[in-house]
Amino acid sequence: MAAPNSAQRKACWDARDQLWQCLDDNNDKIQSCQKFQGDFEANCPAQWVKYFTKRRDFLKYKDKMQREGFTPAEGPQVNS
Amino acid sequence: MFSNALTENKRKHEKYEIFYFIFSLMLFTFSFFSYCTFFSLFFHFLSYSPYPICASREPSAMLRVRCTLRGGGGVLLCLHRTAQYRYPSGPERVLTRSLSRTPDSSRVALKLQTRLGVTLLVGVGLLGAWWWVEQEKQQRRQRQRVEQLRTVALGQGTFSLLDHTGHRRTKQDFLGRWVLLYFGFTHCPDICPDELDKLSTVVSALDRDPALPRLQPLFITVDPERDDVAALARYVRDFHPRLVGLTGTPEEVRHAGRDFRVYASAGPKDEDGDYMVDHSVLLYLVSPDGLFLDYYNRTKSPEQIADSIRNHIRNHVPL
Repeated sequence: MAAPNSAQRKACWDARDQLWQCLDDNNDKIQSCQKFQGDFEANCPAQWVKYFTKRRDFLKYKDKMQREGFTPAEGPQVNS
Repeated sequence: MFSNALTENKRKHEKYEIFYFIFSLMLFTFSFFSYCTFFSLFFHFLSYSPYPICASREPSAMLRVRCTLRGGGGVLLCLHRTAQYRYPSGPERVLTRSLSRTPDSSRVALKLQTRLGVTLLVGVGLLGAWWWVEQEKQQRRQRQRVEQLRTVALGQGTFSLLDHTGHRRTKQDFLGRWVLLYFGFTHCPDICPDELDKLSTVVSALDRDPALPRLQPLFITVDPERDDVAALARYVRDFHPRLVGLTGTPEEVRHAGRDFRVYASAGPKDEDGDYMVDHSVLLYLVSPDGLFLDYYNRTKSPEQIADSIRNHIRNHVPL
């Protein structure tokens, strides 16, 4: 299976951008964006679909950390 | 990694730099004002001493206030005001006028020129000294960085790989050229195309300067199982025309990667046999002597990289 060339990469990225735009507009409700999801999966190799999905989750998580901060995990309880 | 220590030091130094600069600026402005007030006071005492009442503290006090208020450009204003000292009203006026016109105005004119000249000289001298010290510090910092990278000693070994036209290339073939190197794979979703675009932008930017030597961009695959010569030929077409793709047997590729301590780890295969290769994302700069000089991560913009490379080329001392 050959790697995507420049045009195919661009088609995939555009589909991904449209999907993410739709998800941003619909508050991450995947049901409202089925069309874009279908487009995205058609234009991108399966590995890339998985990768970009994980990437979106990571970006949202990073955004949340930067906006709200985080509480460090508690260490092991020590009997004082 | 040591890059964190380098950026830490840099941040600390930059903080001190700012304080140092503000402090010297304040010192400079303070000496401006004290110069201004001191000389105007001195001048007043000189010219008014026969008339202690008219001489009065009042005009000079007013002057001092005006000097402080008007700030940097106030030198000229101070001097202007001292030239126009206030005449006391009444019969004494005629006396003071007749007694103290021409010699005073010529003395004022002379004092004006010398004062202006000296102030400008001092100002320019201070600024020049600061700028020179700044340059020295930057050069020293650059030398320290090169020393640190030298001790890390990446890229010391050799490699022997096939390029995207099927010819065998070794490290020796690239000696005498400045090399900008990137490790990646053709099935990469977005990172490798972005980094290779950045690499192409940098090389094109440096190509525009005829005084600089032509850089050699290299792309070495971390996925030799899939990226054979044909795959590489298709891939490098989309980027800079001088970009050379390199591949080989897994052993050869692993050897080249180890030389630059590149991390590469293939992920699990899915039902299509497709997989991702997790790898470190860096652009490596190698000097014409074949020595690793610098690296650039994803946060560096093309302009920053091009500036850094220009610096390295300018300061390069051949072995």
